[in-house]
Amino acid sequence: MFRYQSLEDCPLDEDEDAFHALGEEDEDIDQFNDDTFGAGAVDDDWQEAHERLAELEDKPATTGEQEDGTVTDEMDLLGDHEENLAERLTKMVIDNELEDPAIMQAVQTRLPVQHPGGLNSSIWDGSAVLRRIRGPLLTQEMPSVSVLDYALPQRPPQARDEERDLSERALPRRSSSPVIGSPPVRAVPIGTPPKQAAMPNFNQQILCPKPVHIRAPMQQRYPAPYGERMSPNQLCSVPNSSLLGHPFPPNVTPVLTHLQRAQLLGGAQAGRMSPSQFARISGLVGSPLPSMNPKLLQGRVGQMVSPASGFRAFFGAPPPPAPPSAQQQQHPPCPGSHLQNLRSQPQMFRPDTTHLHPQHRRLLHQRQQQNRNQHRNLNGSAGDRGSHRNSHQEQMQKDPYANLMLQREKDWVSKIQMMQLQSTDPYLDDYYYQNYFQKLEKISATEEMHGDGPKKERTKLITPQVAKLEHAYKPVQFEGSLGKLTVSSVNNPRKMIDAVVTSRSEDDETKEKQVRDKRRQTLVTIEKTYSLLLDVEDYERRYLLSLEGERPALMEERKQKICDMYDNLRGKMPSQDRPSDDHFVQIMCIRKGKRLVARTLPFLSTEQAADILMATARNLPFLIKKDAQDEVLPCLLRPFSHVLYHLPLGTVTSLLQQLANLPHSATALAPANLHLSAVLQNKFGLSLLYLVLSRGEELQSSDAATELMQDNQWTELMLMATRELLRIPQAALAKPVSTPSNLLALFSRYVDQQKLNLLETKLQLVQGIR
Amino acid sequence: MNYMPGTASLIQDIDKKHLVLLRDGRTLIGYLRSIDQFANLVLHQTVERIHVGKKYGDIPRGIFVVRGENVVLLGEIDLEKESDTPLQQVSIEEILEEQRVEQQAKHESEKLKVQALKERGLSIPRADTLDEY
Repeated sequence: MFRYQSLEDCPLDEDEDAFHALGEEDEDIDQFNDDTFGAGAVDDDWQEAHERLAELEDKPATTGEQEDGTVTDEMDLLGDHEENLAERLTKMVIDNELEDPAIMQAVQTRLPVQHPGGLNSSIWDGSAVLRRIRGPLLTQEMPSVSVLDYALPQRPPQARDEERDLSERALPRRSSSPVIGSPPVRAVPIGTPPKQAAMPNFNQQILCPKPVHIRAPMQQRYPAPYGERMSPNQLCSVPNSSLLGHPFPPNVTPVLTHLQRAQLLGGAQAGRMSPSQFARISGLVGSPLPSMNPKLLQGRVGQMVSPASGFRAFFGAPPPPAPPSAQQQQHPPCPGSHLQNLRSQPQMFRPDTTHLHPQHRRLLHQRQQQNRNQHRNLNGSAGDRGSHRNSHQEQMQKDPYANLMLQREKDWVSKIQMMQLQSTDPYLDDYYYQNYFQKLEKISATEEMHGDGPKKERTKLITPQVAKLEHAYKPVQFEGSLGKLTVSSVNNPRKMIDAVVTSRSEDDETKEKQVRDKRRQTLVTIEKTYSLLLDVEDYERRYLLSLEGERPALMEERKQKICDMYDNLRGKMPSQDRPSDDHFVQIMCIRKGKRLVARTLPFLSTEQAADILMATARNLPFLIKKDAQDEVLPCLLRPFSHVLYHLPLGTVTSLLQQLANLPHSATALAPANLHLSAVLQNKFGLSLLYLVLSRGEELQSSDAATELMQDNQWTELMLMATRELLRIPQAALAKPVSTPSNLLALFSRYVDQQKLNLLETKLQLVQGIR
Repeated sequence: MNYMPGTASLIQDIDKKHLVLLRDGRTLIGYLRSIDQFANLVLHQTVERIHVGKKYGDIPRGIFVVRGENVVLLGEIDLEKESDTPLQQVSIEEILEEQRVEQQAKHESEKLKVQALKERGLSIPRADTLDEY
């Protein structure tokens, strides 16, 4: 960098030359020099590492041989080993210092991406060893894995460095992406198929036999954190080992393509393999099994087993008896299947998970001709029912990749999901779920009462209830600082912008603005009242949950809130005598406002409710006009009818008066009562009228009849109503929500027979006429 | 449902064949191997299926790790019914060709539309953040 500094000092005409010089010098600089990136950057004492590894290998030699003694049949052997493994592994897991599953999972997911699955690797590139590291289980014990080193900084670095580096020798280590923990960059991108067409020749369930991006395959590294630990000797012995329950028939031997051989050679630089061992491998070239097998097995073994202890278990195994023919059709070993056996979790038995993609049935047939000798039909077509009858184990074997996600990891994800459900107030946070289940429970309870049917076990998700902790927030205080430092955080936000609310003056506003503001005011009022309403509706539940002492206070609160609601609805004008309905009408013009009124009415006192009714009736034509689009007014009918049933006649009469829009004093007989006719032509209006009339009739029939008959007002109103009803053509009349049954009786009192008949037909008062 | 009754979780879907629709319009079919809390998916033996008209073509893709936010929807494939499709499978080259033709036609019509609108003085701003599907 010093050169650049000096550039500025150069006189202008010399710039070019200097620049050139710089350029040349730059070219000379090896960007990826060894010192910075390559082997020179780290110690690579492979000899030392090799010796250490050799030690490790020797250790479990004895233990492995002991375990083999109990072998009876392949699967049992496998099971035994795996049980032992399971114990060891679980012990490891418990000791796992890195409790953070995120890291574990990150490590785990990284690796499969790095090293594509066994079935695919035959196509892709055999050198990609199947190192499906089972995440947390093995991170402890596989210190040499490079990825882990990235991810787990606690690892004692030096000792691992050599081993890791050995595996990466040709690749400059630092040329990988700078993100810690990312997998090392491959010379050949993952997904590159091998140079030769490696036609997998055994039963494989392959969905995508040949990836599309065909790029020139290069010599791929033989990166083998696990591979290092296995000598080629093991490579040979393992495939035929019955320990793995390996599905390969005995005649099949692992094959190394020349590509992989080259890679092995590359690996042999590390001194892991002696030439003699290597020769043995090459001598195994035989049947055209994909060469990935050894890697597969390697990987599997590495996966399955803790390097220190487990390897020996496999090494010491005597050559197994010929695997049953059934296994010939099995897919290459699946790590998951074994681990599956280890875990005694409730298995969700999924039949037919291994169905082939229809496209690849052809390929399968080819392979099947070679190895298959009978029934197990792996087709994805609908015809195969046999697989359902397979044993559980065989099922899992069919899908060699099953249970890549461990039970532990599934539980971890579930745990996270459950954590999100924790709440201090489930009724508040998860209202719909709680209500839904309450409803279900009620239904099942009633069902149970009615009949002794089998009670359906409805498993309910118990969401953990966390006690609400009161946190008194104390802002951070630093010691030794002069004064208080302002530290803003989520709990203690600092005011960043001084936003001043300027209220507008009335003169400036235009009419439209005023209107708009007024509307906004109304909307705000509606929202506020709605909050009050929700609180009030909730009081019942809270009442039940609360303690005795708190209840009076609750009641008081509730009352207060109801009053507030009413005030909001009617518009608080304590000075005046509430002459103006304006506020209320404004609310009623908005759909939500109407619904609000409908919900609020049950809570109001009779007088208050009657007041609301009156106001509605008074302004009904206007409201009807405004409601033309929403058509929400009928929602008010039910609460209105409830209110009506509590009203005395006087109120009812005045209500009717309001509907008919007649001033108290005069009875101006206009040829047509516009107010009333508008009312009659609207569904809500007509229904309301009916309700009022019906109520009146009820009162008439129930009370002292004489009193009513003398009620001129009522009579007049009735007459007016009937006149109006007759006048309006039937087509124009609205369809009421419901026609009270006592209307006929009502009308019969006031009108003569002829008109009565007319009314009957017109209004369809008689049941028969429809 | 045995994990958490009353909830939905992808855990039950693991190791089953799924069809995943991504936000960029791709359709992936593969075995769901792993998930996490963000619904990031690991798909195994993935095939990208391109549909054009009544034809479709499969491109094998290997292993996919899909970031959860890019998934529109996913569903388990009924292996029995999978082959009962009226669609016709064609080769990769053919389907890619078909797709190209379709894209071109769409592009042309889009261009005409924009042109027509421009003549009338209107313009539809291209929202690049819209999902393709």
